Amino acid sequence: MIPIMKPQVEAELRSFVGAEAYIHSEATSFVFVRNFKVNVTHAYVAGDGPFRVALRFDGHGWLRMEALTHYEADGKGRLLLAGYDDRGRMNVALHLGKESFPE
Amino acid sequence: MNKADEATQRKLLAVFAHPDDESFICGGTLAKYASEGVEITLVSATKGDMGRRMGNPPYLNRETMAAARELELRNACECLGIRHLQFLGIRDKTVEFIDVDHLADRIAVLIRETNPDAVLTFHETWGGHPDHCAIGKATTTAFQRAGSKGNLYFISFGSEMERPERFGYTRKEVMKIDVQAHLEAKLAAFRAHRCQSEMDEWVWMADREALKRFGRYEYFMKGNRETPSRVLHDLF
Repeated sequence: MIPIMKPQVEAELRSFVGAEAYIHSEATSFVFVRNFKVNVTHAYVAGDGPFRVALRFDGHGWLRMEALTHYEADGKGRLLLAGYDDRGRMNVALHLGKESFPE
Repeated sequence: MNKADEATQRKLLAVFAHPDDESFICGGTLAKYASEGVEITLVSATKGDMGRRMGNPPYLNRETMAAARELELRNACECLGIRHLQFLGIRDKTVEFIDVDHLADRIAVLIRETNPDAVLTFHETWGGHPDHCAIGKATTTAFQRAGSKGNLYFISFGSEMERPERFGYTRKEVMKIDVQAHLEAKLAAFRAHRCQSEMDEWVWMADREALKRFGRYEYFMKGNRETPSRVLHDLF
């Protein structure tokens, strides 16, 4: 995982627009969803770090997350975004995949 | 191993929820019995794949965590002398949502296969985490179903069982194991669980300093309370 560079993450997110994507999203300790399948229509990155990311999907859906700090495009068609605190604990994660994530 | 040795071979089965439960909670006891030749089988319900600690600075993410923690657990098992490790393949944080009958049946099969003299698991109420309580409940049910001839024990945290009355237990129902001679192995196992212990500075201090953080004793509540224990300082 490397610190988020906004242009690169915007470009990676664009590759999911107009296609079906599997989503893993979590606010650690409170909630996670895994393998929601949505049709992404728009993707946004905002902020100067930590970053906010929002997806619009299926014509009527929103997913917005904040406190994202790191990312990795893992070469398997997956974009992994996460937010860590200063001791390496993960606060949030937003993963997009062209295939489903392991159950 | 010849037949006489097989007959006297003591066996311990530990059924926990996450990689690191075995080390952080009762690593001294497992190291002690392994060093005495007890054959230990560890079952972990999950691979700890939903953990929060990702290394410090972070080098893991949600998708790489399961493999990393499995490897860490294998290393910790070597530190403690645990020779057999199995996973139940349940996603971390979801153990309580798995059908308890089905889960107990799977664990009962393991109990019958390994035929342990002692089974360790979590107390279904005092386990401290929903996954802990759920695996403890399933293992307790499995122990009864399997008709095991051994003893069932519930692991406990730190020195809380020095006052067992708060948990509805008497002192005669608590086993107190002296692990002083096995704290180095316990520390090595803590360090093997690197992504989980990395942010705890004391783990990485010089051994002599780090070892001061460990208590001399680990405590276990008796699971089969109706069977009186002759001694309270040995699980066998």
